[in-house]
Amino acid sequence: MSERMRSSIVLSLAVVIGLSTLALPLVLSSSDVEIYVTIGLATIVVTGLSLLMGFAGQVSLGQAAFYGVGAYTAGIMAVHHWPSLVALMAAPIAAGVIAFVIGVPLLRLKGHALVFSTLAFQLILLVVIENTSFLTGGAIGLSGIPALRIGPLAISTGKDYAYLVWVVAVAVLLITRNLTRSRPGRALRAMAITASGASAAGIAVESYKLKDFTLSAAYAGIAGGIYVFFIGYISPDAFPVTLSIEFVIMVVVGGIGTVSGAFVGAAVVTVISQVLTSLGTSPSLPPDLPTVLSLGVYALILIIILRLIPAGVVGTLSDLWKKTKPSASASGPVDTTGRSVLGPAVQAKDG
Amino acid sequence: MRLPAVADVPSREEVVPDDALLATYDLVVRYSSAVALDGVSMHVGGGEMVALIGPNGAGKSTLLNTLSGILRPAAGGMVCRGRLAHVPEGRQLFPELTVEDNLRLGAYRGGSRDPDPIYELFPQLHGLRKRRAGGLSGGEQQMVSIGRALMANPDIMAVDELSQGLAPIVVSDIIRHLVVLNEEKGIAVLLVEQNARLALSITSRAYVLENGRVSKEGRSEDLARDPAVHKAYLGGQVGQ
Amino acid sequence: MSAFTEYLITGIARGLVFALLATGFVLIYRVTRVVNFAQGAFAVFGGLLTFSLLRAGIPQGVSEVLAVLAVAVIGLIFGVITIAGKIPLLSSLIITIGLAMLSEAVAMLVWGSIPISYSGLAGHDFVILGAVVQRQYLLVLIVSLVLFGSMALLFDRTYFGKAMTACASNAYAAKLSGINVKRMGLLAFVLGGALGGIGGALLTPVEPMTYNADVSLSILGFAAAIVGGLTSPGLAVAGGLVFGLTEQFVSGYWSPSYDTAVALALLIVVLLWQARRMRLEGLE
Repeated sequence: MSERMRSSIVLSLAVVIGLSTLALPLVLSSSDVEIYVTIGLATIVVTGLSLLMGFAGQVSLGQAAFYGVGAYTAGIMAVHHWPSLVALMAAPIAAGVIAFVIGVPLLRLKGHALVFSTLAFQLILLVVIENTSFLTGGAIGLSGIPALRIGPLAISTGKDYAYLVWVVAVAVLLITRNLTRSRPGRALRAMAITASGASAAGIAVESYKLKDFTLSAAYAGIAGGIYVFFIGYISPDAFPVTLSIEFVIMVVVGGIGTVSGAFVGAAVVTVISQVLTSLGTSPSLPPDLPTVLSLGVYALILIIILRLIPAGVVGTLSDLWKKTKPSASASGPVDTTGRSVLGPAVQAKDG
Repeated sequence: MRLPAVADVPSREEVVPDDALLATYDLVVRYSSAVALDGVSMHVGGGEMVALIGPNGAGKSTLLNTLSGILRPAAGGMVCRGRLAHVPEGRQLFPELTVEDNLRLGAYRGGSRDPDPIYELFPQLHGLRKRRAGGLSGGEQQMVSIGRALMANPDIMAVDELSQGLAPIVVSDIIRHLVVLNEEKGIAVLLVEQNARLALSITSRAYVLENGRVSKEGRSEDLARDPAVHKAYLGGQVGQ
Repeated sequence: MSAFTEYLITGIARGLVFALLATGFVLIYRVTRVVNFAQGAFAVFGGLLTFSLLRAGIPQGVSEVLAVLAVAVIGLIFGVITIAGKIPLLSSLIITIGLAMLSEAVAMLVWGSIPISYSGLAGHDFVILGAVVQRQYLLVLIVSLVLFGSMALLFDRTYFGKAMTACASNAYAAKLSGINVKRMGLLAFVLGGALGGIGGALLTPVEPMTYNADVSLSILGFAAAIVGGLTSPGLAVAGGLVFGLTEQFVSGYWSPSYDTAVALALLIVVLLWQARRMRLEGLE
């Protein structure tokens, strides 16, 4: 296959996917539009998390916390009669600022330490939300959130949100793509692949990580902001630890560090979870079944992908795609597990 | 002992000399699709001191790791008729454990766990025996690494980049110990060195490894005089 | 009886439970460098299996032992899934998160979502300095001390323990010395499973167990273990006590709503302090 043919195939695929994405909300039922919006929101969050995991080699188990910060910021401001667009804009800023402030100390941690500290951060945040009822509505939640208005435009129907979400998602994907192709992006990728090389680069690496962490939190924040206007009601239950894990699963499914993988992972996992929920909720079946099914299937997806196709769906497909190239470029890293962006396995030294 | 091998050309095993303690024939090792060793045949006889020189990335450490069973050959094979101990590049101690524990773990495959013979060889390690190995100087670490390998009671030692990062005076001290071990205990040595001048000066035979192949082999003193070897590995080198 | 002594005694008792949960973390980390997020799930299975065995008429004592053995087997399975083959460390960590979720699914399927419990050590509660303490905590105290003592002996005094430590210290060098690093790792998971199972079997009588208790058990166990840098059994006891006491005093003198939050904030502080210490010692 010639290089030109390949790129024209990729381009036409992108156009087809883009057009069908735009057309979909017009034909979907209202409950399907909700799934559509959910996929879009997850894509926004997962793009940021994938950036952090793939390009900085770090796992955050607190991404749902930043999603929650965005949702509560927008929700509280909207309830207190701020213009809804201002409230929405404040969501990513609040999430980003909090991420920056906690990131300065937390990003000194790596691996399991970062996983547990981000998880701890999320649990602390949930306790704080529950205990500041005057502001957040506490465990009961925050309701009566007015509709979103962008200038004269009222965003009220599911279709409106579908388009809004996708405008934001595309913007987020483009920003991230440009960022990863820029010089700092490549530096971050190098950092993810050679964990030990990171310390050599020193301060610069730390500041990239912090920017990444802040940006990924801002993405989660804006997604949370849209979510709160779309749903109209939030409570701490909407941001459980399992949601953070779900985001990690989406990253892993799509392919760690692949920008388009964020969408694929979000779509695959959301659709599977919807199918399971509808399968498991039947009056004749035990009430625990949907939870059992979703936990079990999420877990199996995560384990199977990491064990069998560590590069994820998109990564594996693009590897296969590259292999069809007549002059396949030089081999990958010295590792039979495929792309080990999560850092080097313990392996023999080569001389 | 027959080490794991995928014998593409089994008859080639006959090429291994009868007196060889350790030998490879047509050894091929791959990383993913890159070839690290491309048909290497070499041998070390009992009590012999052999050098393996060559540029960075030629496959020297890969060869040693294959001999130690850490890497699996894709084709060809190897024969080891004695106990091999590997003194790896960069010393590779257990930094959290004490010097004595590091030494004792060298005898994991069996034999005596008493480190006293090592303290006789390197008296200064005796005073450091309760210290964490991670806190030692480079030269002391190299002694522990050699000592740990000796605890396996080897017939042959593969020593990888002994001089790396050490002061010349420390290197010559440790090298002297290696020569003594070779002469008095008859332990064969396969010496992998960037510092070709040093390696060729103390060994009797040598192999030059380039791009995963043996490009030259012969008596060390002949190789040291070989114009191509001299230009590539000895010319630019200062000191020693 | 003063409130202070009550908080003190309860805090120590809970701290010992955290320390017990920390043992499994320490063991698996010391050998494999994997922080096993599913450690809490071992405790959940230990408690739930003991419950079922007791209900099936198997006598107390025997039930606990059988449950612990079963959890050791679960530990082996988890170990194979987590570390077999060539796999990056962080992938292993994420896989253990998946295993924790999978355990929740299985536990919910088999035992449902209602907390279960069974009676522990028979006899009356006893009174220390005026504070009432359940007798079961005495068992927790004894078992914890025995387990921590044996772990300290294993790692500090035995050749086998040194070989286990060597696996994580420098896996490459361990392989060169002839240590089967993977097999040691799997053994660590088996023992880690058993330790988690013991914790769960001892804890369930004083704190009813549910399918999803694993996350909080994992976090508290991890918190205790991290005080000793995940490698020191002795410091993990101290860590458990610090977290147990913090929780009780915050709950008692400030507000029960904030006990976990403060303990978690303390966890973050300890993590940062550890990272700083590592940097200063150049262990990174």
